[in-house]
Amino acid sequence: MKEHNQHKLSFNPYLEKLYQSDKPLIIYKVIDGYNIYTDFSKKILLNNKNINGFLKSFEKKKYKKETDLYLGFFGYEILCNLIGISIKNKKRLNFYKGIFYKPETIIKIRKDIKIISNIKNHKFNKQFNKTKILSPFKINIPYQKYKKIFDLFSKKIRQGETYQIKICTKYKNKSLINPINFFWKLMRVNSSPESFMIKDKDYSIVSCSPETLIDKKKNSIITKPIAGTLKKNSSINKLIALNYFKNNEKETKEHNMIVDMERSDLSKICKPGSVKIIKKKYVAEYKHLFHYVTSIGGMLNQKTQLIEIIKAMMPGGSVIGCPKIRTLELLNNQEKESRNIFTGSFGYIKFNQDMKFNIIIRSILNYRNKSEISAASGVVLDSTSKKEFNENYIKAKSLLELFK
Amino acid sequence: MIYIIDHQDSFTWNIVHQFSKFNKVICSNYFEINNKLLEKCDVIVFSPGPGSPKDYPLSSKIYKKYKGKKKIIGICLGYQMILYNEGGKIIQQKRIYHGFQSKIKINGQSKIFKNNKQFKVGRYHSLKLMEPFKSNTIKITMRCSKTKIPMGLEDNTNKIYGFQFHPESFLTENGDILIKKILSA
Repeated sequence: MKEHNQHKLSFNPYLEKLYQSDKPLIIYKVIDGYNIYTDFSKKILLNNKNINGFLKSFEKKKYKKETDLYLGFFGYEILCNLIGISIKNKKRLNFYKGIFYKPETIIKIRKDIKIISNIKNHKFNKQFNKTKILSPFKINIPYQKYKKIFDLFSKKIRQGETYQIKICTKYKNKSLINPINFFWKLMRVNSSPESFMIKDKDYSIVSCSPETLIDKKKNSIITKPIAGTLKKNSSINKLIALNYFKNNEKETKEHNMIVDMERSDLSKICKPGSVKIIKKKYVAEYKHLFHYVTSIGGMLNQKTQLIEIIKAMMPGGSVIGCPKIRTLELLNNQEKESRNIFTGSFGYIKFNQDMKFNIIIRSILNYRNKSEISAASGVVLDSTSKKEFNENYIKAKSLLELFK
Repeated sequence: MIYIIDHQDSFTWNIVHQFSKFNKVICSNYFEINNKLLEKCDVIVFSPGPGSPKDYPLSSKIYKKYKGKKKIIGICLGYQMILYNEGGKIIQQKRIYHGFQSKIKINGQSKIFKNNKQFKVGRYHSLKLMEPFKSNTIKITMRCSKTKIPMGLEDNTNKIYGFQFHPESFLTENGDILIKKILSA
């Protein structure tokens, strides 16, 4: 393996060439910087038939070097299918159900830029991606329609059919985008801990996801559900936000429910007695908003298969509602458009079966010259349709601004 | 051995882990019951879940079959299921409690827990027992301190116990002790 160390320059020729080439690449936020993955030697398009085999294949692999991993995403639909829920009668983009890539080159952007590669000669085909907005954004569910679904779900909550349910709305336009520009622009204002970007030949995803769904190292597994959002303004600091969440009955109840739900999801695959709340109800700060977060961890049962972990934890409870199965059925009856990547998961699986996955929220999907930004907020009985409808807008705002 | 019947709830596995502290536990979906193991177990637990007891005739059948023969414990929906099968009416409440922590109080009817003791519990329920409720054997032994909504039941003749709240929730104080006490009752 070849390693080049280069000092960080305002202009890095290798990176510039890469950015302006037609090479597919993935950028992923890590604690102290970013990793860029490229030179993909394998690309696996997931479907209901091969997903099991793909996840099983890791059992035979050996982790020898940093490029020994697959990165990619599971879409919402394939995750629903895995737990026995079929999705019918949806308006579809026919976007991929999930794709995973095996990189041969990793560029680590820290104080310095370090390139790790299994490839000797780096070739680039120049291609410039221009951003072009061809039509203004439109929302797929206008307020009147949203209110109708909200009222129906409120009724279902009173009947005990669901305890909490999240309605997804989408902002869509026609556009071509330069995802690399979009991503770095987004990172300047909102570099949330699970941010990522995928640029491939026929699609791109730009995301500033804040939520970690699975962080698995050996037998330890951690999830950090978010429930509770507060819009920021100059008079609110972290402490004020914490007090707001603590004293707000609606946010507290919503959060409690997700904590118990995630404890239960982890308990499906963890040793009895090992599931613990690591850090209870803290505030994370972002450009436009504050989030209310809890960290929960456990020790996996011996010989837990990757597929069992995926099935227990995905789709992530905090973006669906509770209880998961019945709520997913209710949602799928009402949402007329496929969620595509939204509330799916992006992350990596190393050849030693360590893995990390987020929940895909706060994301732009660009496919076939269309961009879509989805947001979801919760119906619980103390909220109003107006408030939740607006919360969806707050969540989409920093992404919508990229198109300005 | 304890058999937990899951009504596809998202809290069931917290219950599985809680009961595992005291005995061997088996858990399956309500429509995928292993009858051999069910027959072998000493305790049947009806889990929480969405909807109302009338939506789960299979579970009601199991309740009737094993009532008086095995110890039966119901949690949330499971608790409502016991009451429903004993002629109780389960109705919607005006205020809904999901993810709500409230204080409840034990009354003098309880043979297991200390009279007048108050403690905090986690609640996830849209429905409740309509009162008056009459039964020769089932006693309401716990109520919400504020609203007086029934929160716990005991039938010490048939060894049937239930909680409207969630003893496995992180919002419930000393949930393990509650379970320990009814398992050894």
